[in-house]
Amino acid sequence: MARRILKRWRLLLIPVVIAFMALVPFDWFLGQYKYLGTVIGISTIVTVGLCLFMGYTGQVSLGQAAFYGIGMSFSAVLSSVHGLNPWLAMLIAACVTGLVALLLGIILRLKGNYLAMATLAVGFIVWKIAVIDDMGYTGGPDGIRGIPYLSIGSLEFDSQFKRYYLVWGFCLAILLISQNIVNSRIGRALRAVHGSEEAAESLGINVFRFKLKIFVVSAVYASIAGSLFAHHQLHVSPGYFEPIDSVYLVIMAVIGGLASIWGAIFGAATVEILRNEILIHYDKWNMVILGLILMVILILMPEGLFVALKKGYQQEGVFFIPKRIWRLAQNYYSRIKGFRKRKMAQSLAGEPEQ
Amino acid sequence: MTDIILETRKLTRAFGGLVAVDNVDLEIETGKITAIIGPNGAGKTTLFNLVAGVYRVTSGELNFQGKSIDKMSPVKRTGIGIARTFQHVHLFSNMTALENVMTGQHSRSSYGFLESAFLLPKKFREEERIRLNAMKYLNMVGLGQHVQESALNLPLGQQKLLAIARALATEPKLLLLDEPGAGLNRLEKRDLSDLIRRIREMEITVILVEHDMPLVMGLAEKVIVLDTGKKIAEGTAAQVQKDKKVIAAYLGDEEENL
Repeated sequence: MARRILKRWRLLLIPVVIAFMALVPFDWFLGQYKYLGTVIGISTIVTVGLCLFMGYTGQVSLGQAAFYGIGMSFSAVLSSVHGLNPWLAMLIAACVTGLVALLLGIILRLKGNYLAMATLAVGFIVWKIAVIDDMGYTGGPDGIRGIPYLSIGSLEFDSQFKRYYLVWGFCLAILLISQNIVNSRIGRALRAVHGSEEAAESLGINVFRFKLKIFVVSAVYASIAGSLFAHHQLHVSPGYFEPIDSVYLVIMAVIGGLASIWGAIFGAATVEILRNEILIHYDKWNMVILGLILMVILILMPEGLFVALKKGYQQEGVFFIPKRIWRLAQNYYSRIKGFRKRKMAQSLAGEPEQ
Repeated sequence: MTDIILETRKLTRAFGGLVAVDNVDLEIETGKITAIIGPNGAGKTTLFNLVAGVYRVTSGELNFQGKSIDKMSPVKRTGIGIARTFQHVHLFSNMTALENVMTGQHSRSSYGFLESAFLLPKKFREEERIRLNAMKYLNMVGLGQHVQESALNLPLGQQKLLAIARALATEPKLLLLDEPGAGLNRLEKRDLSDLIRRIREMEITVILVEHDMPLVMGLAEKVIVLDTGKKIAEGTAAQVQKDKKVIAAYLGDEEENL
């Protein structure tokens, strides 16, 4: 009986979450957090790409912020300096980023640690090019100002309130597309590459081509997110896509669960809330605390916090966290008391147990 | 005159100074079960890898249905009908049994990123067919009840069957089985030889590398013996068993001991 009610709750959960997210920007609800909400949406888009590339295909990228940066810079330069339509600028930025990813695709021949280092290098190179700015395009460390808002017809996304919905519209579309890709022949091929490259090849899956395609897809996602950020912030600079931001993105993907599309929202939200609301008061300890959280998650729940919570709920119901803490506490209590030792001594001596 | 599906002429593969496959001439007849046996290090798995395209041929010819395939990528070879299983199963542990077999249908379907992303009708049409075919092959190897089981949770015997189902799902003409019987108990081996016979009835040519002599003797219509990369004998199981060279290869040179 209780189980059936819980099941109904679960069905209710999705509309409740949607309603919650739709109501966030209203002043009578969580209006002061609409900026944060928008940023979470943007980070979610990049994280989903990373989940596809890392979680499903089993590759590593420590340079995803580079593609975010390329999209951001191209959108900014084209729409402000050259006065292009922001949508067109966004499209061109996405194409350029995809092309860059395609050309960089040669690094996908590398595996594991070597791929991680190569992508890390990509992150540094793109960031450095933007900072040095020899050709006077990206405005160097100061960046670019005067970027126009996005608009559809007469509807201009000039307020935080409108942009929240714009970003989440994009985000939901990308989440759905990614979900569809995962649940298809393509998704199976990607997971096969993760599972065993040898076997995938023997089944007629062109391993390198699939790695390359998903790398380009994830780069385009990052680029779209970067463009949205440019037209949201109206000011961009290399400070927004430093190499360390790639690490933040990986942390988001890991917290959400690398092989979980919808977990990306959870991961992005956790990290952005920590960064913008809590850790901002302890500036120096920012990365230390996030690093510790990452370590704890990787050790205790390698499939990600979101997935671990989901599984715990499925196994033990709503109150699984207090239940587990209670069990853990009992365990420690008995150890402190030496309870086990005595019990073992008793059983060795052949005495009846209590 | 019988049909030859796979033919090699002076096929050679060297790793630096080590010649793993040395001037091997083979003729594999269409629709038959051929076994390749030989002591450890005889070059059996290397030969498989050459046929499947994992390794490139150093010299010699490799013809499939009369056409040279030695420059073809492994992906294309799957397309023209060569499938294989591995000694170390190599299942996709991150998928269910059904999904593993469905992945086998990859080369027999064509919808891509766009169709998947935007749920175009072609996706549903092909996906339906993929699922039905995958179920057919799962039932054929007798894993119909384990559809939703994670591949990793199956016992080794069933994992091996699943790997065969996955290879069958590529709809091959030639199936290479690399030690399918290794690690199986007697009952599982009996099921396996039944399955291989049924595969033969589907007009799929089977080549198997195997150490288990009773299994080979019961199944193979032709046995090829390799030793240190060279072919030393060929014929029916009974002929091969009496061959002096074969006995010498397995037991060491007897004349030396006398």
